[in-house]
Amino acid sequence: MISRCLAGVLLGIPLAACTLALALHWMPNRGQDWLIPVLILFFPLWTTVMIASYMFRSGLRAWVVLGSSNIAVFALLWLSRHLAG
Amino acid sequence: MKSSTVRTYTTVHTWTGLIAGFGLFIAFFAGALTVFHHDIATWQSPPWRMTADADVTPDQLAQRLLQAHPDARKDFGIVLAPPGVARPPYAYWPEGGEERFATASAIDQPTEDATRGNLADFVYALHDSLGFPTVGMYFMGIVSILYGLALFSGLIIHLPHLVRDLFAMRSGKNLKRLWQDAHNVIGVLSLPFHLIFAMTGALLCLFAITFATLNVVAFDGKLFDAFGKAIATAPVIAPSGEAAPMLTLDELMQRARVQALKQGVTSFEPDYVHFSNYGDRKAVVEVRGLSQHTLGTYGTVAMNAVDGSVLETHVGKAQNTNGITNSAMYSLHFGSFGGRTVQWLYFVLGLMGAFLFYSGNLLWIESRRKRRMEDQPMKTRIMASATVGVCIGSCLGIAASFGATMLADVYGADAGLWQRVACYGFVIASAIYAWFRPLPRATRDLLWLNAVLYVALGAIDLVRNLQVWTQPWTPQASAVLGVDLTGIAMGIGFAFLARASWRRATQGDPNSVWSLDATTAPAT
Repeated sequence: MISRCLAGVLLGIPLAACTLALALHWMPNRGQDWLIPVLILFFPLWTTVMIASYMFRSGLRAWVVLGSSNIAVFALLWLSRHLAG
Repeated sequence: MKSSTVRTYTTVHTWTGLIAGFGLFIAFFAGALTVFHHDIATWQSPPWRMTADADVTPDQLAQRLLQAHPDARKDFGIVLAPPGVARPPYAYWPEGGEERFATASAIDQPTEDATRGNLADFVYALHDSLGFPTVGMYFMGIVSILYGLALFSGLIIHLPHLVRDLFAMRSGKNLKRLWQDAHNVIGVLSLPFHLIFAMTGALLCLFAITFATLNVVAFDGKLFDAFGKAIATAPVIAPSGEAAPMLTLDELMQRARVQALKQGVTSFEPDYVHFSNYGDRKAVVEVRGLSQHTLGTYGTVAMNAVDGSVLETHVGKAQNTNGITNSAMYSLHFGSFGGRTVQWLYFVLGLMGAFLFYSGNLLWIESRRKRRMEDQPMKTRIMASATVGVCIGSCLGIAASFGATMLADVYGADAGLWQRVACYGFVIASAIYAWFRPLPRATRDLLWLNAVLYVALGAIDLVRNLQVWTQPWTPQASAVLGVDLTGIAMGIGFAFLARASWRRATQGDPNSVWSLDATTAPAT
């Protein structure tokens, strides 16, 4: 329980943050016109990740799945910035 | 849903609720009062009881500020008192990287705390930070996050029986079930309201940290720049170096109002004015105002301060998506978008929210009750004392801060100091009292003390303003009357609670921390 809780709390922050950054990046004008409504979604998104992490069968699974989602989103964000321009 | 899943979320709900419950109780009780922020300010300083500097106009304040601190002309603001409140406007300006605040007569001794001694602001500070700047605010931000987790997990537990149980109020012999039903129905029915608070509460309290984190983690250090552009409401214009006379503030506010009303809002009440490069031909003034009956409560009009020509408008239909969201976040949190009806709705929902956290603690205690034993476990006894001491004690503390404000006004003492002493003093004393006195008696005593204090404060203030009630009626008079009558009504509510808890103590199920029998009978 504690392990799943920690996974959700710690990995939820970068996951939510990068998801939002990615969404903004793909919006017209880099999301400048929608910055505040999108940033507001940070806490609901983080909370959702924290709550959902209790659904995992074990703590290890939570760390692995959330960890790899983090890497995937971060990689996508990096690629969009550096390749797609 | 699997029973193990429900068990997991019940654990999450219980622990987040227990950890955050006390903070949330105070946030909701003080928050319910904060809805009437302006009315409490009027209650403290009604127009018929002038306070120092209250007759200084914003223009005079600006002149005195610039005489004493000429460098402030680059960037300063004037915070106006709410209409009808006999409170001085105060100036705000940055100096050496720090914020400075001062009213006209204290312009040479500026402070870093703008609103010391204002009761409405003290109640607000209790609501958002328990009255402790920065540390308290971060604490309440964490409380808000736990609150969001408690909401989500509560919903997951309750979801399978949502329709069947929602309106069930099983008021039979099993008192715990009645409390459980009340807890559930209030939680679910006010869910949209709670979602708003959990979300905006966390954001308002943890803004600086969150922002810095997002900037580093996901935005490549570019968030500050983007955010600055998103919330900017006035153009940045370099000074020309040529001096020019400024329009008066009254004139500028009037022009801002005219411009705002063209954007479809029904009202525009300026509450803050900001100048850049005051005295220069290219000086920019920004007037912020409150509009009623719109989600974009706060709007701004930026003008040239020499000729009053409009530079930028962010009001009503001229708001962009960023501006309207920013403004809506505040108005949804504070219930300032729909006049008196919405204020009362928020007040009632706020008190119901406080009940939600109180009942949550009660349910935790009740479900650990040993039905067949007179001796109750120590942890329930500790929790029960803390719940009574902190929750009922903080209601007392807030009443005490109202009383202290009144006394400080009569004796000309420092209201800011006495508000704090009275409030924290009563909370601490209540907690000690609830710890050492048999709990059923402590509960009854503290609730009666609340009842007496709330009714007495309302009644004394009614008598104190006796001559006003016979004068022609003004909106300020009815605001003050409203605060007094609400206080008396709350006192009567506390009296009912005191009677009910005493009935529980004498006639209820004997094996409980709430029962008089269990605590007086010798252990067997």
